[in-house]
Order: sequence, then C-alpha cells, then structure tokens
Amino acid sequence: MPSNYPGFEYGADRETVSAAKVKALESLLIEKGVITGDTVNSILGYFETEMGPFNGAKLVARAWVDPEFKARLLADCNAACEEMDFPEGMSGAEGEHMRIVENTPEVHNIIVCTLCSCYPWPTLGLPPYWFKDPTFRARVVREPRKVLSEFGVALDDSVEVRVWDSSAQIRWWVLPMRPAGTEGMSEAALAALLTPEAMMGVATVQV
Amino acid sequence: MKLQHNLGGLEGLDPINTETQVFVEPWEQRIFGIHTAMMALSNHLGDSLPDYAIEAVPTEFKSFWTWGHLRMGAEGMHPFDYFRLRYYEKWLGGISGFFISEGYITQEELDARTAELLADSEKAAAPLPSGGAAEIDAQVLKYLQEGDSPKRPLPEPPKFSVGDRVRVKNVSPGDHSRLPGHLKGYTAEVVLVYEGAFTYFFPTEDGIGVPMPVYSLAFKNEEIWPASLTEPNALYYNDIFEVYLEAV
Repeated sequence: MPSNYPGFEYGADRETVSAAKVKALESLLIEKGVITGDTVNSILGYFETEMGPFNGAKLVARAWVDPEFKARLLADCNAACEEMDFPEGMSGAEGEHMRIVENTPEVHNIIVCTLCSCYPWPTLGLPPYWFKDPTFRARVVREPRKVLSEFGVALDDSVEVRVWDSSAQIRWWVLPMRPAGTEGMSEAALAALLTPEAMMGVATVQV
Repeated sequence: MKLQHNLGGLEGLDPINTETQVFVEPWEQRIFGIHTAMMALSNHLGDSLPDYAIEAVPTEFKSFWTWGHLRMGAEGMHPFDYFRLRYYEKWLGGISGFFISEGYITQEELDARTAELLADSEKAAAPLPSGGAAEIDAQVLKYLQEGDSPKRPLPEPPKFSVGDRVRVKNVSPGDHSRLPGHLKGYTAEVVLVYEGAFTYFFPTEDGIGVPMPVYSLAFKNEEIWPASLTEPNALYYNDIFEVYLEAV
C-alpha cells in the first residue's frame, strides 16, 4: 500500500474500514434518490472507454507524423481534437481549456498541480497516484531534475526544464519527443508506445 | 497560512512514490464516482456554461458542489491529516461530512450502515441497491461531455501585457485560494495573456470568482528558493488570476 509517510501510523483495517464507509455512503445515496445504482459504474466506464490516455496517445502520434497537425495542436489543443475521430466530450469536464507543450532536445516540460490535482481528463483520463501525492507536488517545482532521476529520466544540464503548475483553469499536458528507430511506424503503432507518464513529462518514450 | 497552499519547494520529503495506478484500492473508485456525480448534479449548473436543465433532473441532490468545495475541505484540514491521509481518504471524509451537514443522511445512519457491513462479510460483498431514474445518469454523462467552462467575456482589458514584470500580492487565502502561497511576494514575467476572462465556481475571500484575466507567468527558481536548493536551467510556469497580481 503506497504511503510516503512512515511517520504516521495506520490501523491494519485501514482499507476495510474505508471500503465499508464508502459502500455505506453509496448505498444510502442510491436509496435516497441522490444517484442511481448505475451512476458510479457509468462514470468509471466513461473513463475506461471514452476519455483516457488513449486519446492523448492518438493526438501525439498524429502530431509526430503530421507537422502541420502538430502546429495546430500546439496552437489550439481543443480545436485539434475536433479533427480527430474521437467520442463526444473532448472539451467536456476538465478539458474545457487544454494546452499542450512540446518537448525538444533543448526544452523538457513537466506538469504539476501544487494546489490539488488538476489534469486534462479528455486527453489523459484520470491522474495516477504519484501526481496526486503531496511529495511529488512539493518537490518537482524546486528540484525537477532530481525528481526526474527518481522516475529514471536523466536530463543533461544543458536542457531547460519547464514545470507547468495548473493553478487556474488551463489543463496542461506534454507532447513528448518521438524516439529514434520509429521511422515508418504507423500512427497506431506509435500511439501504442505512449504512456501517461510520457505525456506528463516524467518519462521518455521507449521503443 | 495553510501548509496546503505552500507545498512548493518543501524540504525534507521522501523519494517520489512512482505508483502509476489511478486507484490503489478498489473502494477509491466509488468515492471518485460519487464526487463526479455530485459535480454533474450541482444546482449551479442551471447558470453555467453550458446551462443545463438541472432543475428538471429527478435527483434528490439539490446542493451546490464543485471542485472548489472539495478543495476548500482539503485546505481546511489539519495539515498533519492532509499528509497522513491518502488522496481519496480525504475525499471520503469531506464528501461524507457534506452529505451529513446538508441533511441527506445522518451520521448515525452512516455509522450504523458501516458497522453492519464491517460485521457481516456477506453484506459487505453483496451488490449495491439497483434502480433509480435514468435521467440522473443521462445528466451525469452530459456533464462529462459538455463540462462547466469558467471562460467568460472580458469585463475590461487586461492590466498586464506579455513581457511585463509583475509581483504576486501577499493576499490572505481565507478558506479557499487558487494562489500557490510559495509564490507570494515574488516577481515573474508575463509570458501569455489568456484570451477572455475566467471566473471561479464561487467568490473567494481572496478575490476570485468574478470574470478576470488569467496570465501565464514564468518564475525563475533561483528567485524563489536559495541557490543552494535549486537546480540549473529551470523555469517554473504558473497560471495566475489577475486579482493576485500587482505591477512591479
């Protein structure tokens, strides 16, 4: 069980109690007509099939093979999404105003939300554990290279690091560099190389 | 001052936990779904962009609930609890408390139901109640697809332009703020003036919640933290509401 804070003590029944509390809450809310018996499952399903990192991966792959599309994506992420064969909702919840920044040999970008966990839902889905953990949020803004090294990414001192903190309502994400050895690969094959971490700036794309 | 607003740059922390799962326990999915449904059924959506026919949705939920409310709860916690509890543990506490304070459920019935589930593993494994009005789930899907945009027409021209130096004011955060406290007093360059104006879910004591310009600012790390604690060749960008800024 992830805990970065060994100074705190937790009961052995920590998860059992939380599971019971949330089930008690959800069942009461269904019985009282606040939500339905399907509401939570349909929300979770939406993020499994409609809005997730598979959308961001398709946008990045298209940008890698089409420089003109890349320019449009960097200029207006939401408008570029309209060009794709995506489900309805790319400018929906937590995607109303998205922006993407490009990694190059000279500049490496990382996203963070030091105040909470703001994240572009339509392109990346829901944020991973590490992004929400206060340790990452506290450390990456002051020592991004050290944090990157803990993710296994070594960055030369000559590369400028830019950390993007989502304190207002713009949702940022990262266009990673296309790796060598992928010449001639199809868009679908390129998209399969992408991970959420690569599109958040804490991983490079591996072939 | 709240620790929750001042995370940036904190020293003495552990190595990064690089766990990539979104939910590290199955129960976490349920509280995420409940929160998202509350946002999708919030009574303010009749006046939002887009404006939903929220009053016609046959849910018993009649309250105002947004990210702002969830964040305000987390910012109001004891700072040690903020670190001690995992992300969705904070959500579970805050959201349960909200349903009790708004009168949808009582603490007693929540405790009794929880105790029942803890005492009986068959009940704990049993399916949730089924049924409910399909229009509720249709509204939730509509919200996910259409969102709740904070963008509004500019009430007046932005005070600052690209290239200007600005200083982050030392405003008191009150119950809820969108200003990272570790930026207060520091200067930065305006690198982008976002088109239009941005409002917030509700007015805060520190001044957001009416349409105003938002700027992308570039801070130099060595101007915020001592040189011995920073790294070479790093820039820190932040999106900041105009009310938090003054001319240098």
